[in-house]
Amino acid sequence: MTQSVWRSIGWRNVGRNRKRTLLTALGLAVGFISCVFLVGWFGGILEQMVGNATSLIGGQIEIQDAEYRADQSLYDTIGGRDGVDVDALLRVVDADEAVVASAPRVYAGGLVSSGEATTAGMFFGVDPAREVALTRFLDPLVAGRLPAPGANELLIGEEMARQIEAGLGDELVVVAPGADGSMANDLYAVSGIFRTGLVEFDAATAVLVLSDLQSLVVLDPGRIHEVIASTADFRTADATAARLAAAVNAAVDTGDRPIATLPWTELNPAMVEYVALAESFYWIIQVIVFGIALFGVANTMLMATFERRREFAVMLALGSTPRSLVGVVLWEAFAIGLVSLGIGVAVSAPVMAWLHNAPPSLGFFVSDITMMGALLEPDLRVEYNLPATLYTAVMLVLTAMLAAFYPAIRAARTPPADTLSGL
Amino acid sequence: MLRWSRAVATLALAMAAGLVLAAPAAAQTDALEIIDRVDRMMRGDSSRGVATMEVVTENWERQMTMEIWSLGTEYSLVRLRTPPREAGTATLKAEADIWNYLPKVDRTIKVPASMMGGAWMGSHFTNDDLVKESRLVEDYDIEITFDGPDDGVAVWDFRLTPKPEAPVVWGHIEYRVRQDDYMPLWTRFYDESGELARTMEYSEFMELGGRLVPGLMDMSPADKPAERTTFRYEELEFDVDLDESFFSLRTLQRGR
Repeated sequence: MTQSVWRSIGWRNVGRNRKRTLLTALGLAVGFISCVFLVGWFGGILEQMVGNATSLIGGQIEIQDAEYRADQSLYDTIGGRDGVDVDALLRVVDADEAVVASAPRVYAGGLVSSGEATTAGMFFGVDPAREVALTRFLDPLVAGRLPAPGANELLIGEEMARQIEAGLGDELVVVAPGADGSMANDLYAVSGIFRTGLVEFDAATAVLVLSDLQSLVVLDPGRIHEVIASTADFRTADATAARLAAAVNAAVDTGDRPIATLPWTELNPAMVEYVALAESFYWIIQVIVFGIALFGVANTMLMATFERRREFAVMLALGSTPRSLVGVVLWEAFAIGLVSLGIGVAVSAPVMAWLHNAPPSLGFFVSDITMMGALLEPDLRVEYNLPATLYTAVMLVLTAMLAAFYPAIRAARTPPADTLSGL
Repeated sequence: MLRWSRAVATLALAMAAGLVLAAPAAAQTDALEIIDRVDRMMRGDSSRGVATMEVVTENWERQMTMEIWSLGTEYSLVRLRTPPREAGTATLKAEADIWNYLPKVDRTIKVPASMMGGAWMGSHFTNDDLVKESRLVEDYDIEITFDGPDDGVAVWDFRLTPKPEAPVVWGHIEYRVRQDDYMPLWTRFYDESGELARTMEYSEFMELGGRLVPGLMDMSPADKPAERTTFRYEELEFDVDLDESFFSLRTLQRGR
């Protein structure tokens, strides 16, 4: 007989005991929905983590002197001592099709003092307008406004403001080792207070206008430490960084100092590894969920085949081969798999769409979490993961068929004469 | 600056103070006696001096002139005379604390604990060098490791090993003293893995304020051989009329 007959019989058997079929299918469907949801939710957390880490205070791509990253030395500016044409560099970066925002940065370290209280500070020199378009930590501010160029104004983190008891309008002393070896110092008024939620950062960081910080630490206007750039999608950062590296090297003169153009995947390899780890975790979720389903389905199929052993005995007596009986049972399992897949997709698609577009907050249960330098606001946002969903679908059908394998063998080994004679 | 550059360098200052109290083990007695004598020769109860400090780094060179007052091992005040842009900038050390006075903004800043490892005035000395100076004898065990001629000069070598739980950054310190006039020749600071971290060398021994002292001290970090901080006395007088009230925030700001 042709395979299609066994297929038809298999399909027909699905409708034999509808309640049992439905229960079995629901078991598998719940497994499918769980996997899709867990993978999607995990994806949502990773998305938020990477998205945050590459947009809160940093960017997706950093362009800097090749020496800078090792020591983060004040002297390792782009182009070294001679500096670089900052406007030209920014023009080259902005000209890239994928870049949506870019901003120059100067960094220095030193002391911030208010009255009796003094704390160690990390100073960010930024171009306020560009910075706000690129990163999120200065927009909105907790209080006040962005510093104006040349007005000796700065922003401090909320935690630093608390620690040194400084508020809007207060004058702070900033002391930093200058590039000429001097102990550079000046007074700055607090024009605003920012909050990232990263407590250490908020306690240690002060933000000045780039040109103000340059003049404080005696760096020429052409000397900056970084240009930070971002694209619309952090997954494209690697490719964009490669393009930018070529474009910058071709168009910008940095003397004999090579430039490093680093995507976040190189700047934060731990996060890349974490994402990879999370993805291997998907496998584990699937193995556990379908492992449990496997035995449930196997049990049901075993019952179903035991119930029908007279039918199998008749088929064998009529000349069916044991192999074709295996086929019948496996086809039946395959059909149940498809039914449960249908249920799973029908349920999970709208749920996933809802959780993707309007995720409920988990703020009632957990407060904000800081993980690997990224701030997470816990919610149920899910990300679609088509490859993982397809993989889960295949796992579902395979589980159904694997679960039916032993019952199918049992069915094929039904002794026809004994069974029919009622033994 | 005098206080800690000289004393970190020579250790002598600290050891004399500690000698009376420490009741050292017999094995250390000789070492401590020698160091005590070095100290007595090099230091009075108080001092005032003028020195120049030249700092050479990979990125810049600069020279500063400074006036220095000290009292015991606990108090010192340093005020820059040049370069003109920074004249008046001053550092006060009183016991374990350090304050900087910044004339440009007319403010005094206490150096926070987290910045004590930072460079002082861009030199290769840290703020900690100043504060830890008076605690060397408390923090280290001292032994003589060599006694005899080296290159025709009779010297003693000492090894200072941190006592257990001593809050110090060095793994150990080596120190050489010339026997005929008790002048220090060098101090070598090693990190905890036993690697040489920096070397202080003494030279141009001369009579200043009625005593023989090293007129020039040269500090060089081991990992940056091209860098150094050179400290040279122009004037030095001992046992000047100073008391603790001089080493106050008021004096720091007054700019005398």
